[in-house]
Amino acid sequence: MGGRYLARRGAQALLTIFAIILLNFVLFRMMPGSPERVLLRNPYLTQAKIEQVRAEWGLDKPLIPDQLVAYTTSTLTGDLGYSLKFRGIPVTDVIGQRFWPTILLIGLAEAIAIVVGLAIGAYAGWRRGGRGDRIGSGISLVLYSMPYFVIGMPLIIIFAAGFGWFPTSGMLTVGATYPSIVERLVDFGRHLALPLATVSLGLIGAYSILMRSSIIETRSEDYVTTARAKGLTDGRVLRAHAFPNALLPMVTIIAINLGYVVAGAITAEVVFNWPGLGTLTVDALSARDYPVLEGVFLLLSITVVIANLAADLVYGLLDPRVRT
Amino acid sequence: MSASVPAAPSAAHLRAERWRLRARSIRAFGRRYVRRTDGVVGLAILVLFAIVAIVPQLFVGPLETATTATGRSLEAPSGTHLFGTDELGRDLLNLTLHGARISMAIGLLATFITIVVGAIIGIVAGYLGGWADTVLMRFTDFFLVLPTFVLAIILAPIILDLIGPEAQLFGIRATLLVIVIVIGVTSWATTARIIRSQTLSIRERMFVDRARVIGGGSAHIMRRHILPNVVNLIVANTVLTFAGAVFTETTLSFIGLGDPFQPSWGQVLNAAQSSGAPGLGAWWYIAPPAACVVLVILAFTLVGNALDDILNPKSAPRR
Repeated sequence: MGGRYLARRGAQALLTIFAIILLNFVLFRMMPGSPERVLLRNPYLTQAKIEQVRAEWGLDKPLIPDQLVAYTTSTLTGDLGYSLKFRGIPVTDVIGQRFWPTILLIGLAEAIAIVVGLAIGAYAGWRRGGRGDRIGSGISLVLYSMPYFVIGMPLIIIFAAGFGWFPTSGMLTVGATYPSIVERLVDFGRHLALPLATVSLGLIGAYSILMRSSIIETRSEDYVTTARAKGLTDGRVLRAHAFPNALLPMVTIIAINLGYVVAGAITAEVVFNWPGLGTLTVDALSARDYPVLEGVFLLLSITVVIANLAADLVYGLLDPRVRT
Repeated sequence: MSASVPAAPSAAHLRAERWRLRARSIRAFGRRYVRRTDGVVGLAILVLFAIVAIVPQLFVGPLETATTATGRSLEAPSGTHLFGTDELGRDLLNLTLHGARISMAIGLLATFITIVVGAIIGIVAGYLGGWADTVLMRFTDFFLVLPTFVLAIILAPIILDLIGPEAQLFGIRATLLVIVIVIGVTSWATTARIIRSQTLSIRERMFVDRARVIGGGSAHIMRRHILPNVVNLIVANTVLTFAGAVFTETTLSFIGLGDPFQPSWGQVLNAAQSSGAPGLGAWWYIAPPAACVVLVILAFTLVGNALDDILNPKSAPRR
């Protein structure tokens, strides 16, 4: 892969991240709970005290460049301010506690959905119009039309409230003590099962639909006709020729889709009270905890930008045609 | 003017000819659409929901509130309450049908904003080209990459603060207007991309050159020559955008940005979640609004895909 391609993609990603920080800065200044407005609402505050606090926080300096530079520097050094709800706890600490449950949930769900969704989509597209296609595509389309919490709520009603196979909420049983790590893992797994199923099902719907149309496009390509003409079996044409090529656009799509997965995971976490970034976001929203909200936004958007960059690079490695 | 040039057709004649061509293309479109079973089914579902959304009171009377609730708390479905009741004793059939009005109205307004912003940016960027195109498309790409849902969550309280909690439009309260604006602000980018790429190819066509040569200004050409040629795409994209808008509205209401006094389906599901209905096994509280959400989004997607296949010159037939 050309060095220039790499450098250009990297520069674009950096520029985007800077734009995100800039947007965050603007939002911080616009939000209803900005420090100045909170201070000015207090009628007992003397002018001298207000001036003193403003100077202390650097609010007396001009917005650009002083405040912007100060904001950017502290953001880059990992200082995202303090949570309003959990008084005095830095935003990075609040987010840090909630980061891994979400990563685990989304990561596992992506792994399951990529395998299952791509397989269903490839099969449906290959046998276009057949019975398998009609059933598979129908189910995928319905799943695709469901917000994740609409998938999750029936799962709770049936498998948790109905059969009682799984707990309804949380990540571990509250107050439980575990004799060994194995029991702890089993309990964790029972709590993870339904949220994981929810996010996976939602993703499978999206991926199988996209994979189906991708494989339908490759079906009419010349190299597929050539492979057939060589006398390869149908399954071999699919596995060795059509599937790998249909997979290419999916790399980009999966990365772009990450932003939507995050949104879906937020609602799935709420349904199951999963202690990840999603429940944190919704709690912060109802408490109007802006520093935490902005921290989550910053983290998630930078993650998505980096994922897109990674997808571009992987795509460039896999497909020499795009290295321009 | 020499005598060999045939007499110019009269204005009335031209107008009649234009209408004849229009009617013919509409009939041709109708014939192609009717052959799409999925599109027809989707359309039928949408017509049904549109009727319910326009006159819900005709079927179930005025919206029930905590004070006018007709049942006891969390009653299972019965003869008097076909869909059961919620934790306040409100009839769920009543809530669900009235929810159709709120969900569809917000979806419609949000779609309108999305399409107008997306189409204007797409046409201007594609037609003008050069630095205007570069700047607008960088901006668009930025919005495409952002996790817009999280941005929407942050923007919502800020916008509520800007427009004030008392603002109203067509009887829609401020909290819901915020949802409309937030969806519009965060979802125009895809539309802009699609419209731009179509504009790029139309710009190179002969009639655009001719219009320019006889002195048509940029604004005039974009309005009278480019816009009519991207309307096809706009129509197909509008329907798909509507599905997305209903999806986003439901999700935003579910996480607590809805209005309890004007409950959409997402808001009803939010109430179900916070009253613990899933854990209690109160399936009747969740099934009706959830089924409506899925049906409407599915129907819009079916119609949108059918329209896209017929109207979009770039999308190869998908089936």
